[in-house]
Amino acid sequence: MRVRNKWLAIFLVMGLTLAACSPSDSSDTTEGATATTEGATATTEGATDTTEGATDTTEGAREIATDIGVDLEAGTITVGFLTDQTGVFSPLVTVVNTGIEAYWANVNANGGVHGLEVVLDFGDTAYNGEQHVQLFEEMKDEVVAFGHSVGSPQTVAITPGLIEQGMLAIPLTWYSGWSDPNYNSSVVPHGTPYCIEAMNSIEYMAGETGLDSPTVAIASIGGDYGLDASDGARLAAEALGLEIVYDGAGAIVAGDPTSYIEVGNAIAEADPDIVYHTGIPWLGWPEVYTQAAITNGLEALWSGASPSWAPNYVSEDSGIRDEIARDMYWGFYLQPWDGDSEGAATVREVMTAAGAPPHDYYGEGFVEGQLLLQALNIAYENGDMTQAGVLAAAKSIESVDYNGLAPSDDYVGEPNEIVQRVVHMMRPDLTSETGSKLVQADYTSPTAAAYEFNGACFLLELG
Amino acid sequence: MRGRPLLHTTYGSDQALLNTGTKKLLMSLFMLLLLAIPLFAPGTIGEEGSLPGPDFLAAGDWLRLLSTVGIYAIGALGLNILTGMAGQVSLGHAFFMGLGAYTAVVLGAPEGALWGLGLPIWVWLPGAGIVAALVGIAVAPTAMRVRGLYLAIVTLGLVFIGAYLWRNLDFITGGSQSGRSHPQFEFKLWKEEAPLIDFSEDGIWFGVLNLSSEAKTYLLILVLTIAAVLLAKNLHRTRSGRAFMSIRDRDIAAEIMGVNEFKYKTTAFAISSFFAGVAGALLASLVGRTIPETWNLFLSVQFIAIIFIGGIGTVSGVILGTLFVILLPRIVKDFTEWMETVVESGDGIMAGVLDLFISTKPGDFGLINTSAGVAPGLGIDQFNLVIYGLLIIGFLIFEPLGLYGIWIRIRNYWKGWPFTY
Repeated sequence: MRVRNKWLAIFLVMGLTLAACSPSDSSDTTEGATATTEGATATTEGATDTTEGATDTTEGAREIATDIGVDLEAGTITVGFLTDQTGVFSPLVTVVNTGIEAYWANVNANGGVHGLEVVLDFGDTAYNGEQHVQLFEEMKDEVVAFGHSVGSPQTVAITPGLIEQGMLAIPLTWYSGWSDPNYNSSVVPHGTPYCIEAMNSIEYMAGETGLDSPTVAIASIGGDYGLDASDGARLAAEALGLEIVYDGAGAIVAGDPTSYIEVGNAIAEADPDIVYHTGIPWLGWPEVYTQAAITNGLEALWSGASPSWAPNYVSEDSGIRDEIARDMYWGFYLQPWDGDSEGAATVREVMTAAGAPPHDYYGEGFVEGQLLLQALNIAYENGDMTQAGVLAAAKSIESVDYNGLAPSDDYVGEPNEIVQRVVHMMRPDLTSETGSKLVQADYTSPTAAAYEFNGACFLLELG
Repeated sequence: MRGRPLLHTTYGSDQALLNTGTKKLLMSLFMLLLLAIPLFAPGTIGEEGSLPGPDFLAAGDWLRLLSTVGIYAIGALGLNILTGMAGQVSLGHAFFMGLGAYTAVVLGAPEGALWGLGLPIWVWLPGAGIVAALVGIAVAPTAMRVRGLYLAIVTLGLVFIGAYLWRNLDFITGGSQSGRSHPQFEFKLWKEEAPLIDFSEDGIWFGVLNLSSEAKTYLLILVLTIAAVLLAKNLHRTRSGRAFMSIRDRDIAAEIMGVNEFKYKTTAFAISSFFAGVAGALLASLVGRTIPETWNLFLSVQFIAIIFIGGIGTVSGVILGTLFVILLPRIVKDFTEWMETVVESGDGIMAGVLDLFISTKPGDFGLINTSAGVAPGLGIDQFNLVIYGLLIIGFLIFEPLGLYGIWIRIRNYWKGWPFTY
């Protein structure tokens, strides 16, 4: 008993010693710091000032409120990216990242954001939800906003955190839910949703078949990507009165070769004129195509939501090079590498200067960059570069003009008015530098134009 | 017996969890340290106060990482009971974790488009363990028929059955690549609106402690992990624990001695699955939203890696292994970022040497690709997988007792120092 009392006394003494409180460091070190660059004029409405001391007091110099990720003394703005460098979409996303790095290097070389250099902080989520959330927790106290967040379920997983933190994230997914402002208050979407992209592709290909009423097969992987695109294909087929002879939405399991063979055989057996097949190019798409079109000899036009396409389908060593060049179409909101717009020319110029080989997906990095740059400029002009200030600035954007690289994104109005409906129709091209060519620019099918968009085509349940 | 701590004169003192004064003191200090970690953050005590200590540990991301360590430790303790103590190799741990996560979501998620009963944590957390344990009992008879590699294949099958179920039970799981949100950490008596304790919101505890949601969650997981450790540790001292070990060492001999093989193998599966179910439910709630693909073979392999690297069959080894496996990616990441900074500075021989290890742009040479874009080398995540693989091979060959074995050697060296020879 005496021994126990002795230990109790020792622990009490130790506990009291440890409980000696130390004064805390101030975490808010930059609030109210003064930027030395000349102020520009704010052109948008609705940005809310959520911090103290963020008022414009003198002409030519302004007080900028900051909290996290903006260091006015060092002259830097740190932007985070929850990206996929090693997961299933990494072959695509790393190309986008190369575009992002070149875009911001170019912005910084040309004066940055009112003289502030933009520093990029990439976190590799490997397309894994657990890692995505962990990285969000690591980075949310270091960056002013997320320049992209790859994956819809992953972005939904960090939504409570984004809202609590009052932070902006730009999703690198073209899920139709993002175009509904009621669905998520912390993201700003861009581009044409999978669902509407599919409507355009189905109608375009229906015309290409030369048939009065071609039949349609639908196949996809699960999730927002596959099912949103499949819903769009189904809606278009129904609107056009086309018979759906096979519906395998969600039937393909990425990484399960049995499912590729089963779906490929089922498509061939249904003998459609058009196949809308949304999948992962490095994990199943070519296998399903091969099973149906090569093994079973199906003759049809093939498409899928844009990330279903990969240039290596038509590379020199590809076993399906000629067949894919004959059969495939896809719609995408971006102009390709050799696009004729001023925006596409800028991509070519910047990427060539950076020593990068031609690729169609650099443009995505430039579009994300322009959207974020506009938000940062507005935040600066509002004198509020806090995380909440950047989010408010992004939410106040009325429109972003990408100089023809992509159709302008509008953000004022009802979902049905602002949802992006334009795509560029593309085909493989064995002679092109990137393996693709533009066959119809700025295309919106009558079905896609008439579609009443009141929210996500495929609802990714938040609950 | 003062001054002779290794001389035990009673069975109780011989079997005590902490059987020497030094162990008691160190463990008490360690427990105090673990409890104090959230209080290292500025402003956690009163207006501006904090405890002196490494405040980076109290940052939200580190608390979250430590919570992840706790949850994985609970899961690994379960696998250690089955594989380390009872000798039944299992690759099906991810299945039981998924089962626990989805039981918890059905019991605890609010009613809506997907199945959910909206019940409180004191129902869904034990429920996750119990359902997983019941399924574990159902699977156990296979362990009577097969052993070793064959049992590993049977349990591997569970992961694939689980993958099929989770993809197709979309009214529970939310469907492939879509997933669903899991119940938050909050304590309610039943279905009332306001929880009694909300672990997912920042708040003040005991009137003076300003705790973030990450800190509260960490403390909750810490308590549960300590409970799991005590359970696992105590199991070693029970009749069942001894029966498990006798089956592991030689099942036929154990049976001849009167150990009921069927009963104890079933018990081992049940306990192990219970731990896995609870860990799965906790992990899903910590992440917030999971997709069915989360509960895959790699997750099972991670647990195998934990117990092999830590030291199979020992509770302390499991904790060491979990710390190592969960913190390794973060350490590799931070180390790589440091190498990148040195290389970018371009100063001295160090920058030149480190430049051989990392590639920063297309065309650069290096083992690890630190650029976010297209460049040669392995991504950090891939590099971690290589390290896991090498470590498992290395430990199996050179140190079968894992990190625990290394610790024992270090301890024994210093115990006898300066006369260690």
